[in-house]
Amino acid sequence: MRVVQQRRERDVSWDRVILKLRSVPSRLRSVPMATWLCALVACLSATSWSLITPAFQVPDEQAHFAYVEQLARTGHLPSSSIEEYASDEVLALEDLEVGRVSLQPQHHTIASRSEQRKLQHDLANVVATSLSSSGAAGVAASQPPLYYALEAIPYDLGAGGGVLDQLALMRLVSALMAGVTSLFVFLFLRETLPATPRAWTIGGLGVAFMPALGFISGAVNPESMLCAVSAAIFYCFARAFRRVLTPRLAIMIGALTAVGFLTKLNFLGLVPGIVLGLVLLAKRASQTLGSRTAFRALASALVIAAGPVYVYMFINLLSHHRALGLAGSVLAVLVSHHSIFGELSYIWQLYLPRLPGMHIDFADISPIRDLWFKGLVGEYGFQDTVFPRWVDSVALIPAVGIVALSAREVCVHRSALRRRVVEFGVYFTMAVGLMTLIGATSYLSFPSEAAGFPEPRYLLPLISLFGAVLALATRGAGRRWGTAAGALIVVLFVAHDLVSQLQAIARYYG
Amino acid sequence: MRDARVALAGGLALTAIAVAIVLSHSPQILVGTNAIEPSTRLTSVPGGGSACQADETLPAGTSAIRLSLGASAGPRVAVTVLSGKTVITHGEGAPGWIGYVVTIPVKPLDHAVHHATVCFAFTGANERVSFLGVPTPTRSAATSGAGVLPGRIAIEYTRPGSSSWWSLALSVARRMGLGRAWAGTWIVLLVATLMATSIALASWLTIREPQ
Repeated sequence: MRVVQQRRERDVSWDRVILKLRSVPSRLRSVPMATWLCALVACLSATSWSLITPAFQVPDEQAHFAYVEQLARTGHLPSSSIEEYASDEVLALEDLEVGRVSLQPQHHTIASRSEQRKLQHDLANVVATSLSSSGAAGVAASQPPLYYALEAIPYDLGAGGGVLDQLALMRLVSALMAGVTSLFVFLFLRETLPATPRAWTIGGLGVAFMPALGFISGAVNPESMLCAVSAAIFYCFARAFRRVLTPRLAIMIGALTAVGFLTKLNFLGLVPGIVLGLVLLAKRASQTLGSRTAFRALASALVIAAGPVYVYMFINLLSHHRALGLAGSVLAVLVSHHSIFGELSYIWQLYLPRLPGMHIDFADISPIRDLWFKGLVGEYGFQDTVFPRWVDSVALIPAVGIVALSAREVCVHRSALRRRVVEFGVYFTMAVGLMTLIGATSYLSFPSEAAGFPEPRYLLPLISLFGAVLALATRGAGRRWGTAAGALIVVLFVAHDLVSQLQAIARYYG
Repeated sequence: MRDARVALAGGLALTAIAVAIVLSHSPQILVGTNAIEPSTRLTSVPGGGSACQADETLPAGTSAIRLSLGASAGPRVAVTVLSGKTVITHGEGAPGWIGYVVTIPVKPLDHAVHHATVCFAFTGANERVSFLGVPTPTRSAATSGAGVLPGRIAIEYTRPGSSSWWSLALSVARRMGLGRAWAGTWIVLLVATLMATSIALASWLTIREPQ
């Protein structure tokens, strides 16, 4: 009797799973077509960037490639952070003159057919001979492995063609991530601004054409996946705040957080905001779902989120390594450096005007203008491909316009904002956490380098909030001018993407 | 929706015109160097530092000077070129530059200048600035406020070229086809198609009624 009962229960749960799987296509169909098209636009733009940017002319792409190579060839994580790569990669770097071209914009990429022939000949020969893998992956060695494991698929697919084929295919996977990012930004806007469908499209397209996203997603860099994961988490939170934190949504947030942990260390910056959000949502859900269900959902989310960290520590301890492996050494440096007040003052000045009494950490530059804004306007390659100075000044005009329209919308609907202050507080905490992490990392090389780490690409995990600003600006223009303002915002980002690509072409091939 | 169509069409037309105008200009071309490779980090100086290098030859038409300096958030750089004690030209670059080279626009020279001294000074103290060049004997080395440097700094001189970007398009396209997995000039057509498709999709999405 008991066996029959158990079998019946098992059948029922299987039926549930099958039903859920069957409902996936109809659920996907319920996603507006504009969402998919925004994702496609982002993919196309990033693919275009992947073709324009010369091989290995993206920060740390050599190290990320080496990580994938190490993982694909040996099945083991990198064991060293020295910059000693496998022979095929070294040959490609030499023949492409990567060291000569990077950071020196006066030097362009190879220009003659004889150089191309030499490159192809050398790479063909190195493929034929045995390939050694050094176990080193430069600055990427301390990063978690998920993105690299995913990139091992295109790496293997391109194995017959050599390093450049592999790199091109790996870049396409990153370009897909740009599509996923844009998709989730669109869905995030659909949840946060449900009354204005036009604003979702404008925000989604603005993000899709954002050159900073296209550039980094057109390269082998875990930042592309981190953006996608972060955008998905923002979407889940927006959905949970608009409706309720169901157990399924909690598990999804937990799973995405686990994926984030496994993607890039910078994800740690978002964690305080995620935990805060889950706790607040569970508290709110306890009123509708009952405290038992709500807090069980919270617990499952937290356990799933922390799962990979425990597994990683367990494996490291079993193999007699430090609990957090190479990542642990990075984190140890991060928390043991300099005075806490000096660090806080530095982080503050990195994003905000200096307060009286603070030490002058940036004497002749304004980090907001010269690092962040200038970087968002256009810094490609090894940050060595930039627009002339006047472009930054001209770019201030539409930027101020967009911010003013968003601010107007926020002012007009401040009562609605007040009702959702908890939700915005969670997004704010996520943003502050990430910015603090970037500042703390940058402080490690201060004062020998005033700004060794602050690159706008590190802020891309907050891209959903950027999309929200664009969407708010569309609404802020009012009913009469909203559609025209939206179209102008799209044109602005199309133009920005186009001229950025031309700038990169001029820099490397001009 | 008519407003969106007009804004979109006007915006895209303006973008096309702006791109066409930019491409009708000439890129900066290299007209001379001091034949020093930026292969060695000679020294680094704190913000507020300065240096001078004698025996430089500036070609006629020089409108920008590229100094091989390294920084992550470089300070404002002011350049003065002297012939004896006479100032030949000068210019100033904005702060916040990054990398191993900084380009300073200067008042264009109408004639070549031999045995000139190129002096540069930094304003602000964000971080130390590295000097890149090659070690040389003391008598030909650059000097700074602290004394003689261990070598000479790599310097290049540029001016606007005579060919527009339009006329260089084919050579740029050929170069784009090199150094990649599937080599060939067709890469340029592929990039153009990808971007044209994405712009067409975005335009359609922008002007249609949201559903």
